[in-house]
Amino acid sequence: MKSPSIHVQNLRKVYTVSQQEAGTAAALGSLVHRHKIEIAAVDGISFDLAAGEMVGFLGPNGAGKTTTLKMLSGVLHPTTGEATVLGYIPWKREKPFLRQITLVMGQRNQLVWDIPALHSFELNRAIYRIPPDDYRYMLDQLTELLGLGPLLHKPVRNLSLGERMKCEIAAALLHRPSVVFLDEPTIGLDVTMQRRIRAFLTEYNQRFGATVLLTSHYMADVEALAKRIVVIHHGKLLFDGDLSVLVQKFTAHKTIEVQIGDCQADLNQYGEVLSCADGHFTLRVPKAETARVTERLLADLPVIDLTVEDPPIEEVIEMVFAQESP
Amino acid sequence: MNYLRLFVVFFRVSLMGELAYRVNFFVQLFQSFLSLGLSLIGLAVIFSFTNTLGGWRPDEVLALVGVYFLVGGMISLIIQPGMQELIDSVRHGTLDFALTKPEDAQFIISISRVEIWSLIDILMGIGVLVFALVRMGERVGGWEAAIFILMLLAGGVIIYSFWLILAALSFWFVRVENILTVFQSMFEAGRWPISLYPGWLRYGLTFVIPVAFAVTVPAEALTGRLNWETLLIAVALAVVLFIGSRLFWRAGLRHYSGASA
Repeated sequence: MKSPSIHVQNLRKVYTVSQQEAGTAAALGSLVHRHKIEIAAVDGISFDLAAGEMVGFLGPNGAGKTTTLKMLSGVLHPTTGEATVLGYIPWKREKPFLRQITLVMGQRNQLVWDIPALHSFELNRAIYRIPPDDYRYMLDQLTELLGLGPLLHKPVRNLSLGERMKCEIAAALLHRPSVVFLDEPTIGLDVTMQRRIRAFLTEYNQRFGATVLLTSHYMADVEALAKRIVVIHHGKLLFDGDLSVLVQKFTAHKTIEVQIGDCQADLNQYGEVLSCADGHFTLRVPKAETARVTERLLADLPVIDLTVEDPPIEEVIEMVFAQESP
Repeated sequence: MNYLRLFVVFFRVSLMGELAYRVNFFVQLFQSFLSLGLSLIGLAVIFSFTNTLGGWRPDEVLALVGVYFLVGGMISLIIQPGMQELIDSVRHGTLDFALTKPEDAQFIISISRVEIWSLIDILMGIGVLVFALVRMGERVGGWEAAIFILMLLAGGVIIYSFWLILAALSFWFVRVENILTVFQSMFEAGRWPISLYPGWLRYGLTFVIPVAFAVTVPAEALTGRLNWETLLIAVALAVVLFIGSRLFWRAGLRHYSGASA
């Protein structure tokens, strides 16, 4: 096995926040005395990423995804714990380290608003000291993969949100980083553009062998991009492994879709009837009984069609979070 | 030098961006002419009543006005926009981008915004200065010129460091624009000889808000008024403030990244 590209061990980040109670009197009081409380945004998580791996970092808002990403890209210091990225300690912010990573944030722009994206690219080219040939090569590659052609010469403020995001991603990848951190790269984009960006990330990951860690709360992102996912909630790691294993682990049920003549029949003896329309029943049955129930359905009823499915991934994740909430 | 190379690139990109908006150029041109015109009319009125102002003769005050425009132009060209960028990027969280770049974040932030058309103020300042010097005649030699440039540099460093300290307060308090506005209006006081002001204000403008070192001292160097003590103080203050502001910036960053907690 290759040595890990990213190594995280018991990483913890505690924020001290001053709390203000509602009301004017309390607000005035807070000028003098503030209640400080400590919140663990990231509460002791550990995981490893192999070089070239693409992993989805999943969790509801406030789970600690962004904080973790910021620690790994060197912006934040952890309170305790350790991490290495490419063998460097991120928060030391050594130049050789910074030259090999990049951070993309879906909700923040690094492109200069009033000038064409291409000019902003020039700034990054200078900062990263990208040799002319490499720069031209990467620019060509990115232009082709993201379809940037007509966008590069327009002022950034004239671009749509999706177009801007494509340019943001390109700007962040010009120096061909070997570790890419993406924080909600598809947030607010329409479905077509989300798909475009996903396809690009997969392609980039394969073509350049980069390690990619991306956060999202769109299930579709993670489903399409990452075989392996890391789920965190309230700063704690809930799950780390294959998406299919997650489904196995957290779902006790399967869904059986069965098509018979009409909705007259009572199927409650087979499982929980979720719905029925035009003789199309949706049944929920315990996973262990799936085979037996299917057999009985086929024997007892004039079945036209029958399929067995895992519940949608959104539901699974919801279940995971619901189980673990305090 | 690496920093110079980066500065040139940032400057060039700003220029390319600005050339697309010619309106800004004409607005700035109009504004600069108006501001300079009002200053000169003010001087003309004052010197129709008196021959000296705080011990400065008309041509010397004119040179001071030139320095004022030159320094003011430098501030609004690069220092003020950069510090505004610092405040904005702390508030909007875009500082994270600067922190993940393999160059010094303070430097990147400081040069990231350039108000190109402030060059007009700088050129006008130089124009007025040259005009005043020609009228003053042989009194300005190469030595004075060299000291003048040194004092101009020291003044620039002092203003930059001072401003950086103020802007870096945003690491703790987030909203600090008002302090910068106060500074901006105090700087206006620099267009007159500092000796004109009452003692307490003179000290204030020298040491609390170092306007005097940015404008008056370089102008003194040019008009042969500068003594060695002031020169040494200016250089020492520039060095101390520069180091101090750097330390302050780093403390701010530590606070921002949670390293100090």
